[in-house]
Amino acid sequence: MAGMLTLSDLHATVGEGAEAKSIIRGLSLEVPAGEVHAIMGPNGAGKSTLSYILTGKDGYEVTGGSATFNGEDILAFDPETRAGKGLFLSFQYPVEIPGVPVMTFVRTAMNAQRKARGEEEISAPDFIKKSREIGKQLNLTAEMLKRPINVGFSGGEKKRLEIFQMMMMEPKFLILDETDSGLDIDALKTVSDGVNALRAPTRGMLVITHYQRLLDHISPDKVHVLAEGRIIKTGGPELALRLEKEGYDGVIGEAV
Amino acid sequence: MTALRDLIKDPSAAELELIARYGGFAEDSRRERSFKAFAMSGLPHRRMEAFKWTDFKAKLKALDGGKSGRVDPFAAVAGHVITVTPEAITGLDKLPEGLRMVTRDDGVAFGASEDVPMGALTAALTEQTIMFDVTATPGQAIRLVYQGAGAALFSRFVFVVRPDVELRVFESHLGGASLNASLVRFDVKARAQVERTLIQPSALGEAHAITAEVQLDEAGRYTQTALAFGGDVARIETRLVHQETGALAVVNGAYLAADGHHIDFTSHIRHGARACQTQQRTKGAVMKGGTGVFQGKFHVPRNVGQLTDADMQHNALLLEEGAVVNAKPELEIYADDVECAHGNTCGALDAEALFYMRQRGISEAQAKAMLTEAFIAEALEAAPDAARDILLQTAQDWLGV
Ligand SMILES: Nc1ncnc2c1ncn2[C@@H]1O[C@H](COP(=O)(O)OP(=O)(O)OP(=O)(O)O)[C@@H](O)[C@H]1O
Ligand SMILES: [Mg+2]
Repeated sequence: MAGMLTLSDLHATVGEGAEAKSIIRGLSLEVPAGEVHAIMGPNGAGKSTLSYILTGKDGYEVTGGSATFNGEDILAFDPETRAGKGLFLSFQYPVEIPGVPVMTFVRTAMNAQRKARGEEEISAPDFIKKSREIGKQLNLTAEMLKRPINVGFSGGEKKRLEIFQMMMMEPKFLILDETDSGLDIDALKTVSDGVNALRAPTRGMLVITHYQRLLDHISPDKVHVLAEGRIIKTGGPELALRLEKEGYDGVIGEAV
Repeated sequence: MTALRDLIKDPSAAELELIARYGGFAEDSRRERSFKAFAMSGLPHRRMEAFKWTDFKAKLKALDGGKSGRVDPFAAVAGHVITVTPEAITGLDKLPEGLRMVTRDDGVAFGASEDVPMGALTAALTEQTIMFDVTATPGQAIRLVYQGAGAALFSRFVFVVRPDVELRVFESHLGGASLNASLVRFDVKARAQVERTLIQPSALGEAHAITAEVQLDEAGRYTQTALAFGGDVARIETRLVHQETGALAVVNGAYLAADGHHIDFTSHIRHGARACQTQQRTKGAVMKGGTGVFQGKFHVPRNVGQLTDADMQHNALLLEEGAVVNAKPELEIYADDVECAHGNTCGALDAEALFYMRQRGISEAQAKAMLTEAFIAEALEAAPDAARDILLQTAQDWLGV
């Protein structure tokens, strides 16, 4: 099956001019619709960088290769257009935005995406109903949803708020960047339930994590090891178990 | 006329016109004092320390008329409307109960003449100073609407707010003249409260000099909220004195300067009595080609200024490259038992926040607008309910939210 997300021989740098640093170095990856792929790899391997390149953050330059999403060159679009096409990133470090309440933000974002797709705006009652249900599922109180985005939220609450947005927006493709870090055991379960509820034949997911414990809940179809800017090994769920036991050194050494 | 003409060295066309106007008044020693105080400098210019960033002389070359017909953002705010045009002041009849009017055709002394040249000019060239003795809390707010086409508009109001009385004033500075100059004075007696809320919509082709003097007696309260968009040159100047103990002043404002606009917030606050409080919060956002100026001074004398509690915050956003913000916060403190703080920042929008919002599908323009609105909102929070939403909405319209 052709990939929903197809990356081939991707090269990218961060920084400008003489400062430019090559981070992604010949990365190829294919995630078909309906599949969940995990990406694991040592600190500094380029996992978050990959997520930023796919979502169009400033400061990164693609110097070679390609990235297509449903056949379109995703790199040609600005971040908001990519979001409108259904690309969602759950940030490793969600950003605090003082003065912009969660509900205002999420509703503005949903309507902007809908507009980009030529759909109608979500009605106020539908929005409130949906946000109540999902908030309840994720243990986010009405009071929390009135606060400015991420301001005064604990680490775990911020991650749950990312999943809240994801469930509200129902994106076509999810990139979860260490969504499990900072979550307590119960929250890990609720977040995983939320992610699993979004699994669908039309939806793809890329799950970046360091830990097997998330993969226990979200069984991935494939596991990739990203090191030094490339996918150096791909396997099934058993690869994650091996990594957990042997660490990256062994696996990376064997691949090189 | 020659003698008058010599008052200002190398007068510009605008200054000649101002001199001619002054020449039209009957002789009057107080008017003369004010005009001479103005004439010492002429239209203030960049070689004067207090105007180094705000050059009226360069920006106001001639008095050849402004642009009238601006919509009043406060139109829907309930209140007794007094309209001030270059020709006349209307709405002085059927005043709300509690307000007694006294008019003065002669000059009325302006204490800060030497330090506030635009205020001195306004004092000198205002035909009729309107004084209100506010003896009981009026059932209505007072709305001062400044507007109308013409060469120049000068006006002056004095409110003496008697003990325990509450007064609410909304000012709409709609412009229309080349030079729009207003002077307002509030004498806030013991435990009285004044809320002053003003808006100054974009006024390209015009100069605005909006000056207020405030004196607070024992436990008097004064809350000022200003939203200004500037013009060729615009200065909102506030001189406030804590005269008796226990007074509280909240002096807030926001400026939004688009291309070609200049807006200046200048304030001088004197803690001339024990245990008085000042909270000052000014926020600004400036686009390419716009200029924002903040000059704030707290003066806390020895002895009388003890137990002062004062905080001055100015934060500005440079929305684009080519935006200019100049700021000079000054704390002049001679008393030792005081709590005085100040903060002053100037920077771009948070790139991380912008990306986060865009990743969720919000366009760059809208994300910038939302972040800017959130940024300035704090400076408008203390405005009365009836006006706060209007101020926010007006800011949103400018931002294109
Ligand atoms: N803006 C930047 N400027 C300079 N170096 C950067 C920048 N962003 C990322 N890097 C570097 O690129 C490398 C990859 O970073 P990245 O954040 O993608 O790692 P990661 O795989 O997500 O690591 P972790 O598991 O710790 O989250 C690191 O060495 C990092 O220091
Ligand atoms: Mg990372």
